Amino acid sequence: MDWFSYLTSGIGVYVGLAVFTGGMAWRVYDWARTPKSPVRLALYPKPETPLARLGKLLKDTLVAPQSWETAGTLMAFAMAFHLAALAAFVGHLRLVHEFTPLVNLLGIEGMNAFAGWSGGAAGIIMLVTVLYWIGRRTYGAYRNLSTPEDYLLLALLLGIVVMGDHLRFVGGLHAATYQAWFASLMAFKPAFPTELASSTTRYALDWHMLFVDAFLIYFPFSKLTHAIGAFATNLVRSSE
Amino acid sequence: MEKQTIDSMVGVLDARMNRQLKQYMDICVRCAICKDACHQYAGTHDMRYLPARRAELLREIYRRYFTKSGQFLPALYEAREPDENLIDELYESTYACTGCRRCMYYCPFSIDTGWITAVSKGVLIAAGRGNEMLGQLADAALFKSDNMDMFRDIIVDGFKGIETELREETGRDIAIPVDVAGADILYVALAGSHSIKPAAMIFDAAGASWTLSMFEAANYGFFFGDPAKAKLIADRFMNEAKRLGVKEVVITECGHAYRVAEMFYEAWAKEKMPFKVRHILEVIDEYIKDGRITVDPKAIRERVTYHDPCQIGRNGGIYEQPRDIVTAIAPDFVDMTPNREKQWCCGGGGGIVAMEEFNVMRLKSGGKKVEQIKATGATVLACPCENCRLQIAELNEVHDLRLRIVPVMELVVEAMVPNGARPGAQ
Repeated sequence: MDWFSYLTSGIGVYVGLAVFTGGMAWRVYDWARTPKSPVRLALYPKPETPLARLGKLLKDTLVAPQSWETAGTLMAFAMAFHLAALAAFVGHLRLVHEFTPLVNLLGIEGMNAFAGWSGGAAGIIMLVTVLYWIGRRTYGAYRNLSTPEDYLLLALLLGIVVMGDHLRFVGGLHAATYQAWFASLMAFKPAFPTELASSTTRYALDWHMLFVDAFLIYFPFSKLTHAIGAFATNLVRSSE
Repeated sequence: MEKQTIDSMVGVLDARMNRQLKQYMDICVRCAICKDACHQYAGTHDMRYLPARRAELLREIYRRYFTKSGQFLPALYEAREPDENLIDELYESTYACTGCRRCMYYCPFSIDTGWITAVSKGVLIAAGRGNEMLGQLADAALFKSDNMDMFRDIIVDGFKGIETELREETGRDIAIPVDVAGADILYVALAGSHSIKPAAMIFDAAGASWTLSMFEAANYGFFFGDPAKAKLIADRFMNEAKRLGVKEVVITECGHAYRVAEMFYEAWAKEKMPFKVRHILEVIDEYIKDGRITVDPKAIRERVTYHDPCQIGRNGGIYEQPRDIVTAIAPDFVDMTPNREKQWCCGGGGGIVAMEEFNVMRLKSGGKKVEQIKATGATVLACPCENCRLQIAELNEVHDLRLRIVPVMELVVEAMVPNGARPGAQ
């Protein structure tokens, strides 16, 4: 690894994960140690039983049906992005461990084809949705509501997605190569396998990882804490 | 802006900080889904009235003083030290908000902009920019309680006058009891006879054990944004209820007064009250269903619709009792669309009808309500909130809706069967 690769695809991954994990833990702790609102802030009607409350919490947070009623287009893009991001995250777990049951079912060729198709679709959906958001923030009526933070996050997401899509559609390397690199990370001896080190694709990976590292580091200090906070705030609308 | 003033504003924000507010400050993504939920933004398309923008103004101060990231990178996070420009915009955005919380209903994260603006009002008061009219009305209410000996005879004389009016109108002696220890109900009305007379007739017909509060339900301390004053104003009738040993406090047809008494007061007082709090329509609905009062099911022949005041509906959970009452007396009832938790705010809440500076915007913000009412084809609007009635009365005039706007209990009085109100009592 050269110094840039080591920084972005080696040590940067550890730093990113450490800051993300520690930062989010701190954020949750900070919320938890702050006293709850003494007054009742629920909206009505609200569920009567704890189980119904849990069901409504999950529905409100994961589906947000009321938001669809008033902003269907935005919600469609938001939902598409989040589902695609979830699919991409799950797909990346293949770097940690091969999805053996799926490989047994589809065969290695079939698995690679499925991963290529689904990963490609997720990458395209994420690209389209991020571009939609950039357009909405830049040219929409709500530009004045946007802050530099909003654009920074979109720039980081765009970088991650564009470079990720480059790896997917142009890179020409298969999962086994990236699995070897990821195995080195998990062994705390970051190194590129020969096939990756000798390929120009590694530049795309380095830039992909640079954006990922920055995204992970920035995450706990940004509005992205809604990933956890939304569960808490949506519970309030149904609480006693 | 002077450092002392800024310190005072930040101190208020610190004192009002709690887990929910902190999360509301931290997680908003500024998606602006709330724009289409707000009647004021829908009526004006003015960014100052976009709920996320209202919250963002307080968030800018929060980031500057309460987050390390805002202190290190203020430009990135738009963390701001308050200045006159920010305070001007905060004032306009905050005191305009009616606190209807329709934006919270539609927000994917349920961010309570109504609660955020309540805190913003505290910050504005610390900056010396609290709304003067609301502040004066709150102080007047407190002056009355501080000098009750001076006002008592005048108030009691007023109640005697209402008894005389009732005698003339009904030919019956209907008492307005005050200071009755051990009564079941302490009824808290509004200033003026319009919320006392129909309630007295209904209580009398139902044979209820009740007593009228010496204090009015309206709470301008709540609208002003000062929880300490709001509590003192509510203390007046809550302490009266404790002193008299009543079983329940019944709040008249006033949205915010019900919410203050039922949702906020115990938290402010830090004690559990020895009585329950109910809205008058919950009580009347019970009287009709229990047969304690008899109503003519065809009494109101015009088409009637019902407006859900935000503070008793979305924020108070009272949806069905008023509808059950109206449908028990008006066969041609048509609900508005949308209704219940999705009901549009009429634009008259939050004390805004008392602030002339918002008059033009307030009337524009009623556009959605006007559309809703027109679509029903109703000629009678049953509306259990004083501020809503004041706003819709103005909309009625401006848009020539030709509506009769009445409190629900007034319709009930119209529908009560003479001499049959209390079976076996005549």
